[in-house]
Amino acid sequence: MESRPVEPRGSVLGVATTSTSGLPASNAGFLLRLDNISKEFPGVRALSNVHFDLRPGEVHAVCGENGAGKSTLMKIISGVYQPSGGTIVYKGEERHFSSTRESEAAGIAIIHQELNLVPHLSVAENIYLAREPRRGFLVDRKKLRADAKRCLDRLGVDINPAAPVRGLSVAQCQMVEIAKALSLDAEVLIMDEPTSSLTEQETRLLFKVIRDLKASGVGIVYISHRLDEMAEIVDRVTVLRDGRYIATDDFGATSIDAIVSKMVGRSLEEKFPDRTSVPSDEIILSAEGLSRAGVFRDVSFTLRRGEILGFAGLMGAGRTEVARAIFGADPLDAGTVTLHGQTLSITSPRDAIAAGIAYLSEDRKAQGLAIKMPVDVNMTLANMEAVSNGFGLIDFGKHARIAKEYIDLLNIRTPSIKQPVRLLSGGNQQKIIIGKWLFRKSKVLFFDEPTRGIDVGAKLAIYRIMDELAAEGIGVVLISSELPEILGMTDRVAVFHQGRITGVLETKKTDQEEIMRYASGYGRRNEERHGRDH
Amino acid sequence: MAEITEVSKQKSVSLSDRQKDVIQKFAALGSLFVLISVFSFTSSAFFTIDNGMTVALQVTSIALLGIGATCVIITGGIDLSVGSVLALSGVVAALAVKDYGTPIWLGMIIGILTGSLCGWINGFVVTRLRLPPFIATLGMMLIARGVALQITGARAVSGLGESFGELGNGSFLRVVNIGDDGFPTVIFPGIPYPVILMVVIAVAVSFMLNRSVLGRHIYAVGSNPDAARLSGVNVSRIVSFTYVLSGTLAGLTGCVLMSRLVTAQPNEGVMYELDAIASAVIGGTSLIGGVGTISGTAIGAFVIGILRNGLNMNGVSAFTQQIIIGLVILVTVWIDQLRNRR
Repeated sequence: MESRPVEPRGSVLGVATTSTSGLPASNAGFLLRLDNISKEFPGVRALSNVHFDLRPGEVHAVCGENGAGKSTLMKIISGVYQPSGGTIVYKGEERHFSSTRESEAAGIAIIHQELNLVPHLSVAENIYLAREPRRGFLVDRKKLRADAKRCLDRLGVDINPAAPVRGLSVAQCQMVEIAKALSLDAEVLIMDEPTSSLTEQETRLLFKVIRDLKASGVGIVYISHRLDEMAEIVDRVTVLRDGRYIATDDFGATSIDAIVSKMVGRSLEEKFPDRTSVPSDEIILSAEGLSRAGVFRDVSFTLRRGEILGFAGLMGAGRTEVARAIFGADPLDAGTVTLHGQTLSITSPRDAIAAGIAYLSEDRKAQGLAIKMPVDVNMTLANMEAVSNGFGLIDFGKHARIAKEYIDLLNIRTPSIKQPVRLLSGGNQQKIIIGKWLFRKSKVLFFDEPTRGIDVGAKLAIYRIMDELAAEGIGVVLISSELPEILGMTDRVAVFHQGRITGVLETKKTDQEEIMRYASGYGRRNEERHGRDH
Repeated sequence: MAEITEVSKQKSVSLSDRQKDVIQKFAALGSLFVLISVFSFTSSAFFTIDNGMTVALQVTSIALLGIGATCVIITGGIDLSVGSVLALSGVVAALAVKDYGTPIWLGMIIGILTGSLCGWINGFVVTRLRLPPFIATLGMMLIARGVALQITGARAVSGLGESFGELGNGSFLRVVNIGDDGFPTVIFPGIPYPVILMVVIAVAVSFMLNRSVLGRHIYAVGSNPDAARLSGVNVSRIVSFTYVLSGTLAGLTGCVLMSRLVTAQPNEGVMYELDAIASAVIGGTSLIGGVGTISGTAIGAFVIGILRNGLNMNGVSAFTQQIIIGLVILVTVWIDQLRNRR
């Protein structure tokens, strides 16, 4: 869809593209500067000769595919790892941070993708954890709350310092983390995938806070897979590939396509594959009047053969909840689900799986995989009957054959079928889950945010698989918060708003704005206006 | 290319992982050998067939309870009730024989089923009432002990007859030579029935864990209960099964112990649950769930058994023994933590 011409300079010239603004000769004006940083682990060179610098008051993005070395670099900046070679200059002085405690004391704070808050403590207690203001042996509660309030006010967010963290949304937790960083007088703030689980509005709030921080002179290192969002806040971007430094550019002087091509080392013209499957009139799955008290009500939709149906909407609009209820993971108060003409009565995932419905959860690690167990075990877990005999004993020969078959079919990169899945990349983990449901011969697959946290190349592979499944007559439902993905992959979109479907749109005839209108509940009114216009 | 480096990174990690696993297994086995050689050196009576059989016999109860504990712990649970359940099962078997005149085999089966019932209740409380396993089995620990004391009036049940002791004291392939003077000399003490029972059950449960769908599901539930449920595994049934297995093995252990004493003691088996859990943990079972083997637990049970026996033979007091065993548990789990830390 966005087929802007790819600038050739990235892939052809490689390192030489470094713009003059990226690597100046002196240290003047730099908050943080890393030169020739290398990091070796036994048998692996994770980083070699990487450059990175940060000015006060700028947002500097670090991009690269999974495994490119972004997190290793961040861990070196924050003192978790020590570099095998190279220099770190911070505020004009060469520094060696041997722990996060040291880097924190120097004013470098990191906000991890998995937030590190204690759910049972209050917001204020979290902000000042292990640094509580004291009065003798006791915590000075008054001062604690007042200080915390000051930090939160500086961010302009409305969070009660006395509230327990467990009741906060992900976005609010992130604000608490940022407040914590500010309370440390951080001058460098590292943010790892801060928007990956935020809604559009929450992202906007975060960006506002980031802009305020910039204005106050904080340097921000920003890691994200969502390149499209970066335009709003990012000043410069550094690309890493395979642990090597590729380029640093002013964001305004480059394009997303150019960044992507530098990341993958080839020009990536297609973000989405051409769809080969053609929807027919035959209905595979139909849902009628599905309701669950307080979560969603009166949800009806149909899924046709060869079709990919999108579920769009804001986080918490009920998309995941509807899919989970159809799958039997959560109870359903009312409504019927019909699969290939047969009305189903589903009370547990077991029933749904037996009927041929599969649900690929949005949280792979928490719900999709037995993370410590090997590839083959995860692959066959949903269909053990097919690899065991009548006595419930596993046929290990068949077990291994099946695992290999799906590893080949889905092109899964793993050193062996015995590799624990936690050691594989997100894309390969997702493919294992897909393999699990294909082996189960599922007739309908619900993909819930299947490409979250997965790098560009692997995304394309997942999209191809979805298209092939649809072409083979398997019903595919794609739940996604990324509208380009919905527009690029689906045939129709069901848009959710506050637990209801506010509209089912033909993907070809709609656009992001229309979907957003329906997702925020204004769709119908606009439709009426449209009607009058024509 | 990014993927290639990633794969090679994974390879080196997994290799060292496997090496660590091997080291762990050998560390446990190695320390067992060290213990045996040290004790053989310090006490001449230690390394004999007779003493070997004694140790094996002493280890049976720890090992049988440990096997049940391992399965429960793999699912991420814990069973604190086995010591009490063992006592209840033993006295139920004894009372059935003494007061109701049931045949001994039937009495023992009733005793074992009493253990199964306690396990089933544990499973019910954990899966249906959703209480934490620690609390559920703590309750059962008190209840089972209370019932055992109540139905016996806190008195030992004795006068059960010679044949009640057959299971606990008999042995297989015992060779005795009656000399000219009429005194019997034992040529081979035989393999005690409890030891045979222990080996058979260890092999069977190990087979179940490694080779069967049920075993696969037990590991999957412990590794990630949500993923298991969403893959169609009946999590409640799997969890309940492990508690029933643990209870049943406690019942069996109770019958074997009471048979060995030919007396049913309602106060038997106090703190045995901790030995069972310790043997599983020494053998590498993770209290977080998803990890554990029967072979490891067997090694753990022997480490505890041999330590007790060897220290006894060297005249070390019971108090000092406790201190040493406590330290051994701390050190082995610490080593295990080091192994898993990255």
